[in-house]
Amino acid sequence: MAGLSYIADDESLVRKVELDGLTALFHVPSGMTHIVAPPAPQILEALAGRPADLKELVRRLSRNFDVDGAESALAARLDELEAAGLVSRP
Amino acid sequence: MSEPIDQQSEETAPQPSRRIVLALGAAAASTVVTIRPALAQTAGSVLNCEIPVPAPQAAGSYIAQDGSLVAPGTAGAVPPLSRPLTGEEVKVMLRGGPTPAGIDAQSAQAYANYIRRLQAGMSGFTCYASLQMPR
Amino acid sequence: MRHSHALQVGPVAFRLGSEWRQPIEALKQLYAGYPAPDGPCDFTVRLEAETPWRRWLRPAVAIRGDYTLPDAVPMALAHGLLAAEMGMNLQMALGQKRYLLLHASSVERDGKALLMTGASGSGKSTLSAILGEQGWRFMGDEFALLDMDDGRLHPFPRAVSLKNQAVLVLEEIVGGDRFGPVLRNTPKGTIRHLRPNEEAVARMREPARPVLILFPQYGRGLQAAVRPVGQAEIFVRLTQASTNYVALGEPGYGALCRLVTGTPARAIDYSSTEAALTLIDGLWGEFA
Repeated sequence: MAGLSYIADDESLVRKVELDGLTALFHVPSGMTHIVAPPAPQILEALAGRPADLKELVRRLSRNFDVDGAESALAARLDELEAAGLVSRP
Repeated sequence: MSEPIDQQSEETAPQPSRRIVLALGAAAASTVVTIRPALAQTAGSVLNCEIPVPAPQAAGSYIAQDGSLVAPGTAGAVPPLSRPLTGEEVKVMLRGGPTPAGIDAQSAQAYANYIRRLQAGMSGFTCYASLQMPR
Repeated sequence: MRHSHALQVGPVAFRLGSEWRQPIEALKQLYAGYPAPDGPCDFTVRLEAETPWRRWLRPAVAIRGDYTLPDAVPMALAHGLLAAEMGMNLQMALGQKRYLLLHASSVERDGKALLMTGASGSGKSTLSAILGEQGWRFMGDEFALLDMDDGRLHPFPRAVSLKNQAVLVLEEIVGGDRFGPVLRNTPKGTIRHLRPNEEAVARMREPARPVLILFPQYGRGLQAAVRPVGQAEIFVRLTQASTNYVALGEPGYGALCRLVTGTPARAIDYSSTEAALTLIDGLWGEFA
């Protein structure tokens, strides 16, 4: 049975600007601005418009990144992104 | 490795040697900072304000250590302040600086928590919001 | 209202009304030489008696206007001029929509602007006033107005609000007739306002392109130093200092990103005016 599913808004609803290794994000639906550090932008990209549970997220991220053993860290990051309104549970 | 094998790997399983290490952040770290409305730094320039503790709506209530309002005389709770705190005093107090005269550190903690719990509509909320203490 | 005055400051026109004569007289004197607005006013400030009987008995001046804040405590009539200034700040803080407001001082040289931002006590106001007397054109000490379309800074040369030590420093440099009254025991300590010089007033409608952002930090024993500042940190600091950033939404975000990615920034530590001016000259030479 799959775990809790997460989803992020489609990329067209988020404006991104790189600032010295961090990312400034303007989330159009909420009008809020966030400054995020890796792995947040990568997680948002992996979840943009496509729901995934934690295991599936790890799978998607591991296409381009070494995320072995990262599940609990990623779970913590998901909580943060959810609190900020950038990720939700569909 | 030869080209065809790479090609195949790309489509089926990722190759460890081609993956970038992703900074993950420690479990307790914070990787998201949200920008909040700020009347903050201009507070001194626009607002000469005070926060009554507790608000007149709750006159007489005592304040528990966690900032909630309780009946007078409740064990561990502190009495209402006889005068409102100025915006400056609150700013200093919330930053962990010296407490206003006549208030001991323990009581200050209770008063500070009361202020942090202020909601819109309660007396002193705008003053507190204008101080924009970072979370 | 019984007493009133209209004032143009950069691109913003204010109408100030008062139940008492004194604050309006002080305002007219402080802003002598400023143009009257040539059209309707953008914002209104009204100095009103907190309650009808407080108009005469221990007068309590409530700051009202197009925009007002609850919880504000009325001020003594002796501080009426300060109340008028705070009233104008409040209208800008809550009502300005045309420009992104940065809580920063700014000065201009050769069409290029230096932006200084930081907490109270950092010295940004005092430094801007001093630079304004040393060949730079003073653009403002409280607010810098960023045009969200073209990224230029617009002047907002209100009277400089000098506190405590800074008053003495400027009194040495500038003639007495440009100062407002000494206001003691205000909520912000002892204050004296300083009118910007004639050049600042004459050129108040001329914007400039920002080319350097500084975070000055004054400290009595501080070793003079220049430190880099990350773009993300600058971004957050400038939003912390902007009262209308969130309200402006996406255009504000875009404009601030362009400012931050396009303008070099440094933090400077200093313990004397001379040290600060030397650091500023050096950095200006490097980046302007």
